[in-house]
Amino acid sequence: MRSVHVVGVGYTRVGEHWGDSLTELMAEASLAAIEDAGVERVDGIYVASTFCEVTNNQAGISALVAEALGLRSVYGVRVEGGESSGLMALMEAYAAVASGLVDFALVVGGEKLSDLLPDEFNSVHSMTLPYDSMGYAGVTPASIAALLYKTYLERYEVPQEFVAQFPVLMHNNAEGVSHAQFPFKVKLEDVLGSPEVAPPLRRLECSAPCDGAAAVVLASDDSQTRRLSGQAVRIGGISIRTDYVSPFDREDPLFMTSVALSVDEALLRSGISRSELNVLEVHDSFSILAPLILESGGFSSRSESGPDVKSGKYSLGGELPINTFGGLKARGHPIGATALYQVAEVYLQLTGRAGKKQVDRTKAGAIISVSGFGTIAGTAVMLSGEMG
Amino acid sequence: MRFNFRPQNHWRFKRFRYRTEVLRCANCGTVNVTTRPVCRRCRSRNLQREELPERGRLVAFTTVKSPTEEHKELAPYIVGLVEFEDGTRIVTQITDADPEDLKTGMIVERVLRKITHDGDAGIIIYGFKFRPPIT
Amino acid sequence: MARIRNVAILGYGGYVPRLRIKATEIARIWGREEDALPVREKSVNELDEDAITMAVEAAKYAMRRAGIDPSEIGAVNVGSESHPYAVKPSGTVVAEALGIPPNFLAADLEFACKAGTESLQMISGLVSAGIIKAGLAIGADTAQGRPGDALEFTAAAGAAALVVGRPGNGEVASIEYARSYVTDTPDFWRRAHERYPSHTFRFTGEPAYFHHTLSAVKGLLEEAGLKVADVDYFIFHQPNYKFPLAAAKVLQIPKEKVEQGVVTHLIGNTYAASSLMGLVRVLDVARPGQLIVLTSFGSGAGSDSFLIETKEGLPEKRAKAPLLDALISRAKYVDYATYLRHRDKIRGA
Repeated sequence: MRSVHVVGVGYTRVGEHWGDSLTELMAEASLAAIEDAGVERVDGIYVASTFCEVTNNQAGISALVAEALGLRSVYGVRVEGGESSGLMALMEAYAAVASGLVDFALVVGGEKLSDLLPDEFNSVHSMTLPYDSMGYAGVTPASIAALLYKTYLERYEVPQEFVAQFPVLMHNNAEGVSHAQFPFKVKLEDVLGSPEVAPPLRRLECSAPCDGAAAVVLASDDSQTRRLSGQAVRIGGISIRTDYVSPFDREDPLFMTSVALSVDEALLRSGISRSELNVLEVHDSFSILAPLILESGGFSSRSESGPDVKSGKYSLGGELPINTFGGLKARGHPIGATALYQVAEVYLQLTGRAGKKQVDRTKAGAIISVSGFGTIAGTAVMLSGEMG
Repeated sequence: MRFNFRPQNHWRFKRFRYRTEVLRCANCGTVNVTTRPVCRRCRSRNLQREELPERGRLVAFTTVKSPTEEHKELAPYIVGLVEFEDGTRIVTQITDADPEDLKTGMIVERVLRKITHDGDAGIIIYGFKFRPPIT
Repeated sequence: MARIRNVAILGYGGYVPRLRIKATEIARIWGREEDALPVREKSVNELDEDAITMAVEAAKYAMRRAGIDPSEIGAVNVGSESHPYAVKPSGTVVAEALGIPPNFLAADLEFACKAGTESLQMISGLVSAGIIKAGLAIGADTAQGRPGDALEFTAAAGAAALVVGRPGNGEVASIEYARSYVTDTPDFWRRAHERYPSHTFRFTGEPAYFHHTLSAVKGLLEEAGLKVADVDYFIFHQPNYKFPLAAAKVLQIPKEKVEQGVVTHLIGNTYAASSLMGLVRVLDVARPGQLIVLTSFGSGAGSDSFLIETKEGLPEKRAKAPLLDALISRAKYVDYATYLRHRDKIRGA
């Protein structure tokens, strides 16, 4: 297998893009990534959009993206894997580049959710749950998050602040980030004082509907593009795993086996250990998911992620900064695009382009993308030129 | 959204939705909620239809204040995690109760209720919920 | 119609939703005098309840008391004037929810408040003729009343169900006689596609309710060769608290033989379930070997009257499901605005 590198990234601001269609958003992010990579051609387009049939009445969207980019006749495919669609598209592109099938792959994710009314958004978001046994009955993702949240607080006998401080950290990191949906700080009391969505879960503990698109360009080792200039980041390894669709069918609903397995496997494939990671992106679609992912992924001991946040372990400047541009909560969660924002942001960190959010001496980073509550979870490990 | 009201997609699940009929694996005992050819745990094809007990224990609950389009007429409504004697757990609506009527650990019993309906002209979807027992 | 042979009540059940609205709360909105209200309070369905779901609840209790396997149920009759669908049966959903296999006769009935006892008549006939071993007779309603109309004080929600089958296995009661009395009397109706019924005020009384009810009861007693004194309980349809007691007075029935079977002041008029609900409440206290006369009334108009004798199996069967008073006592009160929401009277929402 050839080694595979991220050689350029592009993205739109996350937020309300009333004037832009889904295809336009994805084209903008793609053009930015292609320009950033400085590549002459793209041989394959991998599109991630989770809900484009429902939100934009569109199937076969990869051809629309290709046309919008002026790339007639290029190979194009769309990948859908719930909230992990972006990572899935990355893995498909990674495999194609590694195998030699494709030399330059464009991976672009996009979602357009601002047009939906709040209850319509909830209906669409509920599609990430098993519809036939849960969604039909009015069980929402927020209600599952709330049940896990309650289970967590009761089992570990910890106060709500342990979980509610995660959004505070995310907003801290997003402050001043130009592409973030919510680039401002919030206080713990703001989080705990925001309206209840599904108690104990509150509004400021949930990611919000938004529009956005993010793209990355992958190239093989042979192509050498930008590699010498230090602007190539090697994908050390990717792993995606599935699990029972209901967290309550698993041995322990607070432990996401899909996260644990994919982290272990992606690290193994990369040949590095957890402790070598300098930066990490976690899928905090709801506040409670951050501790569940950190604890399932072996970054904090069970019940210890709260104290770890308090001690600064996960802050910028800490031992393992997470979600350095605000994560799903504050940078935003345009579902199919989210994992590609994560990849782009780790790329910025590893290439020293993270500006005010730059973490010192970053050599290795990882993203963890989750759909639902661990129904699907994947990890991608990225290595800087130094480690690559 | 509108597609959710296709009657066929509710009709084919009626045994589960009306009576919590599930597939228990005769090989390993696992309860598989929706119909399928093999057990999710041991892949045995020997799956037998069984009704879950009418009563279970309420393990956790929350109130849905931000509902889906199909269920907004009912909001706010309660969603709970119910555990049966054999350890099988399902997520379900809890009805006939306000949050203050509920306690973690209490017994709840199954009832048939309206889940949602497609406006004035479309189908009415019925399914189980749980409620505090009447004694 | 006359002597019924080999027909028994094997199980019975009543269901009342937990919500109530006080008559004074309705009077507050419409500026009515509080001392002239027809009932004290009435039941209100939850947002997720309708005639089908309530029928299931009552039938579940009836089947639990009967101790019958669902496969032995050969017919399900649901009487209601608020079937959730104009076209699409209620009985099919009820039966599948109860696990009754497909070899049964399903029939939905409508005759204003008389549809519940019609179910009983028809199931009794099928059992007596040996066509089915047992069947479910159900009356269930979420009754309609136009906002501000007099009916709004009484139109309530509830269901009652009986498992009717062959005697000989610890039955609750036997059905001994049945008599109906029906004429074309336009005292109350609801046209197709209309949301609320129309009625004729005092014309619903003497020529409608009283004429049919009294005729049916008198005919039944005559047929059975019984006097009022021979009967332990009389149960009437109860559109309000006054009418059943007034009917009893005409027949010179002592109050104590009537009151146990009146629930309308507590839960309102549950329409197709109304007189059966009275029967449920009487069976909750009756001793074996007592005689009961059950008489319904449905506008349009007609009455079905039954002579029922309680049997040895009653106390044991009674203990297998909650008593009606337990359901009545879990009352939670709602205000008029909440009531409007629950009755789907806020349109365009």
